Amino acid sequence: MTDATSSQVPAAAPSPARSSLLTQSALMKKRNAAEARFKAYGVAAICVSLSVLAIMLWTIFSDGVSAFKQASLTFPVTLDADALDPKGNRERAEMMRVTTIGYTKLLNAQLLAHLEARGISTEGVSDKDVAAFISRDTPARLRDMVLEQPELLGQTITVEGFATGRIDGYIKGRVTRDTAALDTNISVAQLDLADRMQDEGILDTKFNWGFLTNPDASDQRPEAAGLGVALIGSAYMMALVVIMVLPLGVAASIYLEEFAPRNRWTDLIEVNISNLAAVPSIVYGILGLAIFINFAKFPQSSPLVGALVLTLMTLPTIIIATRAAIRAVPPSIRDAALGVGASKMQTVFHHVLPLAAPGILTGTILGLASALGETAPLLLIGMVAFVANYPAGPLDGGVLDPATALPVQVYSWASRSDPAFIERSAGAIIVLLAFLVTMNIIAIILRRRFERRW
Amino acid sequence: MSVFFLIIVLGVLAIAGFVLGRGRALASVQGNTRRLHSLPGYYAWHGAIMAFLPAMAVLTLWLIAQPLIIERQLADYFPAEQFENDSQRILLMADVRRVAEGLDVAVAAGALTPQDAETITVADGSVRERLGAVGVALGAEVTPEVLDAAQSYRALASTGALGRAIVTLIVALAGLAYALRITNGDFRARNRVEAVILGVLILASTIAILTTIGIVMSMLSETIRFSSMYPFKDFLFGLTWQPSFQGGSELGLIPLLWGTLYISLVAMIVAVPTGLFTAIYLAEYASPRVRSIIKPLIEVIAGIPTVVFGLFALVTVGPFLRDWFAVPTGLGSSGSSVMTAGLVIGVLNIPFISSLADDIINAVPQSLRDGSYGLGATKSETVRQVILPAALPGIVGAILLAASRAIGETMIVTMGAGAAAKLDLNPFEAMTTITVKIVSQLTGDTEFNSPETLVAFALGMTLFVITLGLNIFALWVVRKYREQYE
Amino acid sequence: MYDAPNLETRVTQTNTKITARGVQVYYGDKQALQDVDVDILDNTVTAFIGPSGCGKSTFLRCLNRMNDTISNARVEGEILLDGENIYDKRVDPVQLRAKVGMVFQKPNPFPKSIYDNVAYGPKIHGLTRSKAELDEIVESSLRKAALWKEVKDRLGEAGTGLSGGQQQRLCIARAVATAPEVLLMDEPCSALDPIATAQVEELIDELRASFSVVIVTHSMQQAARVSQKTAFFHLGNLVEYGDTSHIFTNPSDPRTESYITGRIG
Repeated sequence: MTDATSSQVPAAAPSPARSSLLTQSALMKKRNAAEARFKAYGVAAICVSLSVLAIMLWTIFSDGVSAFKQASLTFPVTLDADALDPKGNRERAEMMRVTTIGYTKLLNAQLLAHLEARGISTEGVSDKDVAAFISRDTPARLRDMVLEQPELLGQTITVEGFATGRIDGYIKGRVTRDTAALDTNISVAQLDLADRMQDEGILDTKFNWGFLTNPDASDQRPEAAGLGVALIGSAYMMALVVIMVLPLGVAASIYLEEFAPRNRWTDLIEVNISNLAAVPSIVYGILGLAIFINFAKFPQSSPLVGALVLTLMTLPTIIIATRAAIRAVPPSIRDAALGVGASKMQTVFHHVLPLAAPGILTGTILGLASALGETAPLLLIGMVAFVANYPAGPLDGGVLDPATALPVQVYSWASRSDPAFIERSAGAIIVLLAFLVTMNIIAIILRRRFERRW
Repeated sequence: MSVFFLIIVLGVLAIAGFVLGRGRALASVQGNTRRLHSLPGYYAWHGAIMAFLPAMAVLTLWLIAQPLIIERQLADYFPAEQFENDSQRILLMADVRRVAEGLDVAVAAGALTPQDAETITVADGSVRERLGAVGVALGAEVTPEVLDAAQSYRALASTGALGRAIVTLIVALAGLAYALRITNGDFRARNRVEAVILGVLILASTIAILTTIGIVMSMLSETIRFSSMYPFKDFLFGLTWQPSFQGGSELGLIPLLWGTLYISLVAMIVAVPTGLFTAIYLAEYASPRVRSIIKPLIEVIAGIPTVVFGLFALVTVGPFLRDWFAVPTGLGSSGSSVMTAGLVIGVLNIPFISSLADDIINAVPQSLRDGSYGLGATKSETVRQVILPAALPGIVGAILLAASRAIGETMIVTMGAGAAAKLDLNPFEAMTTITVKIVSQLTGDTEFNSPETLVAFALGMTLFVITLGLNIFALWVVRKYREQYE
Repeated sequence: MYDAPNLETRVTQTNTKITARGVQVYYGDKQALQDVDVDILDNTVTAFIGPSGCGKSTFLRCLNRMNDTISNARVEGEILLDGENIYDKRVDPVQLRAKVGMVFQKPNPFPKSIYDNVAYGPKIHGLTRSKAELDEIVESSLRKAALWKEVKDRLGEAGTGLSGGQQQRLCIARAVATAPEVLLMDEPCSALDPIATAQVEELIDELRASFSVVIVTHSMQQAARVSQKTAFFHLGNLVEYGDTSHIFTNPSDPRTESYITGRIG
């Protein structure tokens, strides 16, 4: 017999008085309170995360939306032929001798004249401060225009150009009278003048396509800075990354999932892949700098090097996603194909791969999305440099020209001193997030549409 | 014949191989495909592969070998001691190449005849000016040695190019001929083509290993160079970080390591409880409906690029902490601080911890929950006393992975932590991290032969070793944990 | 083979512990159980038998409201424990489960020490004031579960390190330690070998002295060996309920007879 004859053993616990189920004991109340508290911590944790997310997106959107609008000055300018073409022969080479300074003088004078003609008082504002309304970008554009079309000389045209960053900031509410009083770059009187000019329609805000198309601009002209070069750079990189990462990732996954024998070598590959997925991204930047730039002598700041680095960086994640997609294809499909006499390779390429394609594509898009937002490694390969020229077309070796990338532009604008660049930086984030959201939505749609229940 | 053109020719030969291979296979069985061992397409691919692949391999090898051989040939033009010094040789060769390219451009632009380009000497006037006129800017006047070497370089390069084209084409044609010769109805083209494909697949799968080797090699070699210029012991144990490009830098790792660990600690203090409670709520309390809404929302955080968090730290969190905490308590006056960066990295890591912990909690068998509920335990008692202890190893693994991410995070600290290397306890003080210094030492115009630049590779090595150690350990822990419940 | 222990199979008790009237269970839209009326006696082993999917486990899980943990399960009807409706709004299922303990199909010891496994219930229910009292409960529960001799020298070792039969007895000790009034057992021997099964069956008979025991089993021999009352479930209906000896020798419903003779199952 066992040692468990109940007659010899005392009752398990001091048998509590028969308590009713309908009343809660004091201990039970305490336990339920602890339960409620615990659950509340969970809710609180979720609320904290989501509210930080909401605050972050809200601040960035409220800071950045205004980057898409820009204060601009519109006024008539008579292109004085004597000043702009002193020799009078309309020769391009001769006209190029007139620098932007000449055009600046002309524009300044014409703006003053226009204000006077419209009866807008410039009282308390020196001529120089009125001239400071015009962005340094405007004379350069006007000069390019005149050089292109010399026949404009002598005519009166309507010039539309950016207002300077501070005036732009005032109209958007970033610069106030209080901050202007402390700022040496702008005076309260200038703001008053801006109000009067706005009433007269000389100063106005418009949707700023230039923000998406212009190249970056120097510290003095935040109003002219745009994302053009960064968008091209990012587009080149993403295209190259897809071209490189998709075949490599799929080939590696097929081998590991379908052909690789289980031995030390494949174990080593597996360990490598899972560790590479967790290596800090900046390490890939160091790799790119050492191998592609210092050793292989690829040009710095070029989308090609950026793409190589991002490819190596996203490859592990893509391989992991692709392998999961391949593994999700049931073995019965393989058996069926092998059973009718297909070779292993035919089975994989004719049956497994097409069935895994939606999963592979989803994983690739998500991998690309993370590559698109990656910044740190690109800093090290020189993509943070100031690039004012568009890279050439993709067939003219544009992938070797210096360029920047969207997230890098966010960083480089954020690190400039003029607060107008913070607005640009946030605006660039909006563009970046728009791309990421689109990519994620495509991935979700793909997943929904092709989701298979075996 | 340029490399590009050569590759196009190879492409054409491959297409020829494709067409001819197929045709020959069909001809050998009088068009009766049933008598072929493989499908006609395989014979076509076999022809294409044999025409292209060996020639391409030869071309690649040639492209790698030619510059090395030319460089050795040019050694005669320079004093031996200059050529033995690595960095001087690299500079010299860069000069030579630049002048040679300049001469090419000048010939192409018509500023020089091909004869002139071969015979021009320094005595004929300034080479720099003549090249400048066609848009090739040279930093300094060309020395006679460099000019001679450049001319010799051009000669060698053009001989090389000719040889390259001839050899490549011969190999391609030989491959094509071989493919056609062995193609008949019994030839097992499919097996041959599949073997090549398998080779390609294997090659692709080794990329992971090559990447790791690349990372280790690139950092190791530069770290070794660094340690030859700066005592490695001083790097590892130095308490001051004061680089100065005029020399006399102090490059101690300790303050950077301290900043990194301190910021990561703050981040983990934020992320671990929040992430864990989020995971517990989602796994144990939330209804499927709530879970299907909240979980993707939390994961949105993980999908946002870190540079966005960086800007958030710089523009919002930093000034907020400064104005509401640091200045009122007199602890600091800087927007960039350990707190700023730590909090933001913490938020970034919440979804990471919560989704890993969610998986791990879900892996705890339902029978354990039933056992606990069956004894009259409440949900929270079950979570705290049964599920969490059971999931502990996995959760520890997840936390270590998150810590490794916090340590390697770059953009948030670059924008939110500051640049001053300090050994301080005040969390509202600006401090700096390993990653920040890697960025700052390697961006901008840098020369790769000063310890101030090379230290970045040593820092990268340190970072790599720390994170790799954490990752390997964490992945091992998580795998052991999963095996336990499989 | 093993010697079937000579167990008590006569009904000796008449106090009703649990009364179920008109119990219906739905999983989503699917009805899993309909119109179950049953009276479960105190200090008696009641066996629920029937083919798989017949609703016997579902009904068992109604008795301590374990179905609450399944999100789409719905229970209608009335189940009284000592005259109190356990589905009353005021009843806390947690408190109920302290009175109605449960042992599961697969041994599921917590990944803790043997001692902590047994002490878990008393701790959360606040049954003890001192370490000594807790020690005493742990010892007596392990003795009741006939495990004490085997584990008394290694109480600190992990419960998951025991053999299957020992694990199941540990789970019984764990359930017994909270001093329940009813003990539910969901196929407690299905994962055990014959020797461990014999030990657990013997134990069940002994537990009858202290508790009302309800056991779900797919083995008719087991029901015949350990129980005094038997309920036969089929396709979500309670077909027949009565004394075990009666059910097995002289079933009144043809379906019961078919099952017992092996024609359905």
